[in-house]
Amino acid sequence: MDSSNVVSLNQLNFQTKIMLKSNSNYLILLSMILLLIGCKDKPAATDSESETEEELVQRALEIHKRILTLDTHADTPLRMIEPGFDMAERHDPNETGSKVDYPRMKEGDLDAIFFAAFVAQDIRDDEGNTRAKALCLQMIDSIISSAEKNSDIVGLALNPDDAYALEKEGKRAIYIGIENGYPIGNDLSNVKAYFDKGVRYITLVHSSNNDLADSATDENGAEHGGISEFGSQVVSEMNRLGIMVDVSHGNDSVFYDAIALSKAPIIASHSNARAVTDHRRNMTDDMLQLMAENGGVVQLTMLADYLREAPPNAARDSAMAALRANMKPISEMTDEERATIRKSFQELNTKFPNPPATVAHVADHIDHIVKVAGIDHVGIGCDFDGGGGIEGVFDATEVMNITIALVKRGYTEAEIEKIWGGNLIRVFKEVQAVAEQLQAGESS
Amino acid sequence: MGVSHQSVAHPLRLSLCEIEYLSKKQVLTIHLKLFLTDVNEAIVFDPYSKELAFCQPNESSKANELLLDYLNRFFYVKVNGKKVDLKIKSKKLGGDGENTALWVYFEFGHAPPLKSVEIKNAVFTDLFFDQNNIVYIHANGTSKSLMLNKKTAVHELRF
Repeated sequence: MDSSNVVSLNQLNFQTKIMLKSNSNYLILLSMILLLIGCKDKPAATDSESETEEELVQRALEIHKRILTLDTHADTPLRMIEPGFDMAERHDPNETGSKVDYPRMKEGDLDAIFFAAFVAQDIRDDEGNTRAKALCLQMIDSIISSAEKNSDIVGLALNPDDAYALEKEGKRAIYIGIENGYPIGNDLSNVKAYFDKGVRYITLVHSSNNDLADSATDENGAEHGGISEFGSQVVSEMNRLGIMVDVSHGNDSVFYDAIALSKAPIIASHSNARAVTDHRRNMTDDMLQLMAENGGVVQLTMLADYLREAPPNAARDSAMAALRANMKPISEMTDEERATIRKSFQELNTKFPNPPATVAHVADHIDHIVKVAGIDHVGIGCDFDGGGGIEGVFDATEVMNITIALVKRGYTEAEIEKIWGGNLIRVFKEVQAVAEQLQAGESS
Repeated sequence: MGVSHQSVAHPLRLSLCEIEYLSKKQVLTIHLKLFLTDVNEAIVFDPYSKELAFCQPNESSKANELLLDYLNRFFYVKVNGKKVDLKIKSKKLGGDGENTALWVYFEFGHAPPLKSVEIKNAVFTDLFFDQNNIVYIHANGTSKSLMLNKKTAVHELRF
């Protein structure tokens, strides 16, 4: 399961074979093997020196069951607007790519989740803003009605402690976030309207700039130099109400502005470490250190391209080029010929698959963030139904593999509890405490 | 439990379709936002092909015809039960690199009333099992969003 262990075992066998050939001194050979075995086992040896792989997995699964597991980012509301899609039914992830429903959350022991109401960035005028608000409210209502319809197995959660209370009842906790502040338009009163609906974090911006902030991925580059004047008012209003400020998708200046502007700790609901994987959506070490000073949290995401550099696939590319070179002109092809060629290309994809992102990459990012920011500033935001899903954490049923990977890396139960939700809940509580202070200040 | 899935990871496979009815102008518009790599892969079997050169000075004379040929197989809009004839009014490129999108714009005259809109949107479901297509519809004072895919490719809205 953990490919790094497989590699070191193979290396050990290889080195043993080499040494048997070249060295006749049995004692030296034995001591070297023992040394190598000692090195290999060191990271996993936490509770017991003699723990087998099976026992370790069992221990990890027990931890996974005991602790609160909270995922801060899923675009599942996009599924909820699919006609006929029922969250109470179990779906096959290989059918349409669906990654989350209530039965699969239970199966994976995923206790709590933030469903993000997402509206794609469109025209930034009054009409566009009005439509974005209507679409956003529709998404939020679909989350609320799904939770109400399935109140025997899930519950709508508004406050940090709701997750624990619902977990005790054996129910999944459903929190609401908004991905992209676009539906706020240019009307500050919308922030309260969304809060009243149950929204507890807002991702300021998405893949294009909006009136609040600059995106990390806008083709035209920065427009406001980070958070705009109106965006600053939105951050203040979020602080006042107790909505977490989410900087994922923002450019680097948005992060620095948010740190400076927000009176409460901030979050990155789905971002990774840039020192490990160089991507604009990931956070630099400097940002991670500031996040620690701020008391905020970075929620690690299961997007393959943010977890590892996609390696080149020369064998597949040349096989495809050869296939293309022998094709007849596209406009002369019949539908049947197209279908046959399509099948041939798909077979090449199967024959030469891209090396996948794995839980080992996830653990590498967590190790790095823990090293730079500390154990109190990392969490999990898978981005299921928004592109998230890797080998080993393909959908909600497999999230325990993250816990297994962390146990293998030597993390304790207390540390894993922080990563899987404790840290986010701490930030959430602080955000609410700051809101109470601000509101008390207003009324005095 | 704790066992790895056999499938390889997929990036987000998404397209956006926006349908709007402007009753005063008696016009129905359709905007499709498609990733350019997906368009090229669907039509010429090569995501990075420069052969059709959409929206470039050297755009192939067959580009529109091949694009429409593909769209007509996977996409339609029916207004009051009648399928509209897809004719490209304009196209543009947006975004950069892997995120470059091809916007395709259609426009039709339609006198009120608008009683129903039926959409089929299965674009790129022949390429990717996990392709999902968001559809926004703005008509008669309301906005509605839908997700269509291989399993649920068609949906009708009544007004």
